[in-house]
Amino acid sequence: MTALAAPRAPGALARLWAEADAVQRAALVLALILLALALLAPLVAPFDPNAQSLLARMRPPAGFERARPGHWLGTDELGRDILSRCLFALRLTLGLALAGAVIGLVLGGTLGLIAGLLGGRVEAAVMGAVDAQIAVPFTLIALFVLVLFGNTLPVLVIVLGLYGWEQYARIVRAETRKLMAMPFIEAARAAGAGPVRIARVHLMPNLVSPLVVQFTLSLSGIVLLESTLSFLGLGVQPPTATLGAMVGVGRDYMPNAPWIVIAPAVTILLVTFAVQILGDWLRDRADPRLRPR
Amino acid sequence: MRRMLQGTALALGLAALTGPAAAQEITVVVANMSGYLDPARDHSNVGSQFYFNLFDPLIHRDYAKLEPEWLPGLAVSWQQTSPTTMELTLREGVQFHTGATMTADDVIFSLNRMFQADFPPYQVRQRDRLANFDRAEKIDDRTIRVHTKRPETLFETLLNLQQLFIVPEAYVKSLAGDPNALEHDDYEAFGQKPVGTGPYRLAEFVPGQMVVYERFEGFWGVPAPLAKATVRHVPEVASRLTALRTGEAHIATNIPPDQLAAIEADPGLKAESAQTALFHMMIMNVNHPKMQDARIRRALTLAIDRDLLNEALWLGKAEIPASHTLREFGPLYMPELKTFRYDPEEAKRLLAEAGYDGFEIVYDHFPNYYTNEVLAAQAIMEMWAAVGINGRLNQQPAWTGGKPEMMVRTWSNPMYFADPAGQFGVMWAPGGPAQSEGRFNTDEAYAAAWERFRFSADLADRKAAYAELMARIEADPPFLPLWRPYESWAMRQGVNWKPQPGHIPYVLDFRAGAITLDAMN
Repeated sequence: MTALAAPRAPGALARLWAEADAVQRAALVLALILLALALLAPLVAPFDPNAQSLLARMRPPAGFERARPGHWLGTDELGRDILSRCLFALRLTLGLALAGAVIGLVLGGTLGLIAGLLGGRVEAAVMGAVDAQIAVPFTLIALFVLVLFGNTLPVLVIVLGLYGWEQYARIVRAETRKLMAMPFIEAARAAGAGPVRIARVHLMPNLVSPLVVQFTLSLSGIVLLESTLSFLGLGVQPPTATLGAMVGVGRDYMPNAPWIVIAPAVTILLVTFAVQILGDWLRDRADPRLRPR
Repeated sequence: MRRMLQGTALALGLAALTGPAAAQEITVVVANMSGYLDPARDHSNVGSQFYFNLFDPLIHRDYAKLEPEWLPGLAVSWQQTSPTTMELTLREGVQFHTGATMTADDVIFSLNRMFQADFPPYQVRQRDRLANFDRAEKIDDRTIRVHTKRPETLFETLLNLQQLFIVPEAYVKSLAGDPNALEHDDYEAFGQKPVGTGPYRLAEFVPGQMVVYERFEGFWGVPAPLAKATVRHVPEVASRLTALRTGEAHIATNIPPDQLAAIEADPGLKAESAQTALFHMMIMNVNHPKMQDARIRRALTLAIDRDLLNEALWLGKAEIPASHTLREFGPLYMPELKTFRYDPEEAKRLLAEAGYDGFEIVYDHFPNYYTNEVLAAQAIMEMWAAVGINGRLNQQPAWTGGKPEMMVRTWSNPMYFADPAGQFGVMWAPGGPAQSEGRFNTDEAYAAAWERFRFSADLADRKAAYAELMARIEADPPFLPLWRPYESWAMRQGVNWKPQPGHIPYVLDFRAGAITLDAMN
């Protein structure tokens, strides 16, 4: 498979690019740039993100009065370089959000698929858990888990992973139930296919598109959840920078040093914009019903 | 028609804006609010904001002055008749907010429930500040006597405490269970529906969210200047300032120094600031297995450049104490003691001598409680790193001071009354809160020095004993007072309020003389 796919890749990318409209192309370029910046943060960042300069706090971005040379986006409440912190924060936040969204996708998707396929008591149990999760505000669950197990990075990733699993489960289960009633599944079953084969060959391709949409939605949701938890003191520990924590802290400085909040907020905006546009696009391409025949 | 409607809307809008001023009503937004209001069990910086409007002590003081000047409260006169006895004459015709008249029995009840406390939260306060009181005794309907176990030099100071505010006996008993008997649940219920003799009565209390004061027409003294004051809990600084800017609130508490420039630049707003009578502390667990060596703890304190932090985080306006001492203590203010200093070279030397191997030292702190706490914590980690200390921040909302694994954390040591016994003495007494939480040890020599400092009738002896205690703290430090913070309250132009220097920290005093309102814009 890989041997065949490799030579085809450039052609596929070129075709993808040719089919995209201007906004989609912009989103793709933006996503690649953000990804590159996140991966290369240690090389690109002009300063150590945690290096303080207590007597040069809250200096504005380059071009403004009192700006400090070299600090293009200004300095924060402890005199740290905002550009460097944004780059490192982007790296950590993307990592956290991706890990969280993938955990949610795998957990919720699997449970939803099992529920839809098997029905009966299994389905009732899964949907009961989904209802329980919806009934309790997620911030409360997150606070409880973090207070109970301590707010270390692994616990935080798991908590972020738990965010939104029930949405995946609901969507996948509903889709599965709908598909199971379709004639082609009936045909596959008549041909002797077991549940695993049905799931793999017949269900999964049809589930990709709603899952991709949900994935992009929850990715942005997780970035915001991380911000909420950071503000409550249960996110990543200071001085480590995440975009959410930077916004949470920067909010207090909005009247006198707005650049502290603007830089990470714009970064969050760019990330969610790119992710949403790409998600939309992927859905259009992946959905067999929308695919040109 | 449309124009007329607009005119009406405008008029209504104006009425809404000027209405509260005309009616002498204000809204205050505060950073913190507790779940109960009972001055007897409470000694937090959060609770102290609220009690003074509702209650009176037997002996008041002139709160506009730093030096204590005692004034009649619910007692009109008092005289110390022996080293262990104070006789007080009670004010006549004092009404509680329930309408009942205050009697000598109410006063005896209020005092003895604390002096001979059997309700655990009261027992804590009894032990940490009222331990020398023996009992209160009724002589006749207007006269009572207060007895102490040992000669007491601080009678007025202690009778002024919020823990000894006067409450109605019958009302307290009526709250829970049997209406004629005293049960612990009565005290619990009192915290939700407190009643006192102060110029305001509590019109509404939503725990953790809202306190509403209304003028109490039956007050014995100068009537309250405000008809109504609504206090709302708004935890975020930015939201408090927004409420102020939109006119939704008139006073906002706990404004960090970083926001002052923006407030001064706004013509509709102003700020009142003061160095508040408490220390933000860094406390250290002397019993943590890795922290038992005093040299390690001394290094942790010597590595911190408090003057730089003051300049950077407090605009240089906080006070960096050389020792655990406040100017409020009058003759017992002892800035000549140099207990704490900055000496990174000495810190390095002590670390090397103690054989510090780079183990991690965890610094616990709250996410959003003490002003500048999080910024200071991060800056302190850099300062520690500069002398080779491997510090790690642990931010969490729970109090960790009683856990054996706690190494270092933030705390505050407020002045509960204007004497070193009311600040250092409350927290660091033998058997006091720090020791009972297991992170501080005292021995016989310490206890002996503490006794002399607390009870000696000779001022010079008290000072000498305090110096001895501070020398012990310096040699084997359980804490570092970081600073006396510079706290600010922001308000709309037209509101004339400022913190009174005679109060304990954070009191929102809305009594006559403490607040006036101009025609508000």
